[in-house]
Amino acid sequence: MSMPGATNIFFMGKGGVGKSTSAALNSVFLAQKGFKALIVSLDPAHNQCDIFQKSFSDKPVQIAPNLSVIEIDQDYWIRRYLKDVQDQIKRTYSYLTAFNLEKYFKVIKYSPGLEEYALILAFKEIQQKFSHLDYLVFDMPPTALALKFFNLPTLSLVWIEQLLSLRQEIIKKRDIITKIKLIKKERERDKVLNKINEMKKDYEELKSIFEDPKKTNVKLVLNPDQLALAESLRILKELKDINVDLNQIINNKVQMNPVCVEINKAFAGYPMLNFPHSEIPLIGIETLSSFLELNAEAVEERLNAC
Amino acid sequence: MKRLISTIKEWFVDTWHIADSVGRSKAVETTEYEAEELDHIFGLLVLGSYVGLPSPPMQISLDLMPLMEKELMLMMAKVDTAHQPISDLFSVFDIG
Repeated sequence: MSMPGATNIFFMGKGGVGKSTSAALNSVFLAQKGFKALIVSLDPAHNQCDIFQKSFSDKPVQIAPNLSVIEIDQDYWIRRYLKDVQDQIKRTYSYLTAFNLEKYFKVIKYSPGLEEYALILAFKEIQQKFSHLDYLVFDMPPTALALKFFNLPTLSLVWIEQLLSLRQEIIKKRDIITKIKLIKKERERDKVLNKINEMKKDYEELKSIFEDPKKTNVKLVLNPDQLALAESLRILKELKDINVDLNQIINNKVQMNPVCVEINKAFAGYPMLNFPHSEIPLIGIETLSSFLELNAEAVEERLNAC
Repeated sequence: MKRLISTIKEWFVDTWHIADSVGRSKAVETTEYEAEELDHIFGLLVLGSYVGLPSPPMQISLDLMPLMEKELMLMMAKVDTAHQPISDLFSVFDIG
């Protein structure tokens, strides 16, 4: 993967708190400032089409100067990945028919672990394809899947380290056998070991992107209610565990209630942007622009700061 | 006379080579068994999800699967001896 030029902004939070609207507002703000931005909807239940009242696909659709939107089809990425694996197996396995693998792969499609990997594959491609932009704004899925997405490189590296040391042990033993038996034939390079090393490099690179505050900017969106606060605190803890920094709190639909005080206390060290509750639905680019104008002071101070 | 000496010399050299390779094979028998068992463990770890064992994230198994034909075959061969592990071990150590 090439080093990305664009900064990634991720909008995370509990379902229904306004992640998509906040991502849209932030992107409109950046585009108006002259930055080239792309909104990437990673949420399988896409909302950007409702906010901008346009249909989107996996190809960028321009909605304003400097601003485009793309929607990621998770199922497409799973299908594409599995087809690649299936093709490789067909090429390398000589006894494929004995297994009836095609039937088996249809079941793997519903494997729970592949959703986050599909998002990672899409993320990697978008990083490469749109590295010439200034900002990639990711509208994330609700908490569970979003955390799995960030956690995937760390978790995979734990397994890869174990598999790597076991493979090296096997190769060491095979080398001893070759040496003692005086087998002159040059040992074929271990393809599995090479693949594990390749995967290790890939995941380390992804991990370093997520951990680098210059490349990754995570904004946590929440509402002043107890459930949103509790889930946000869990997100904060999980992100800390995998060394991903939280850059900003967006307190959406602010009302003066005791939870607001709790939110301010709980996230005291983080820059906070308060968005008031909008009387009219924030739909369409004009409405979003007007909302930004109405809250210009807070938005200028906070969004510029990040 | 020269020819006889040469024949005897050849015989000694051949015998030495045979004895040497038998000795070397004996010496690595256990290591070969260990390497094969490690291959099984590796196969089980990577492809464990197929037999209900804890396994790595699905994409790691799937990425390695096309390169693991040998491990899969070894695991299938292992099925034959899996119900008699002690006899398998005894044959490695040449007991009985």
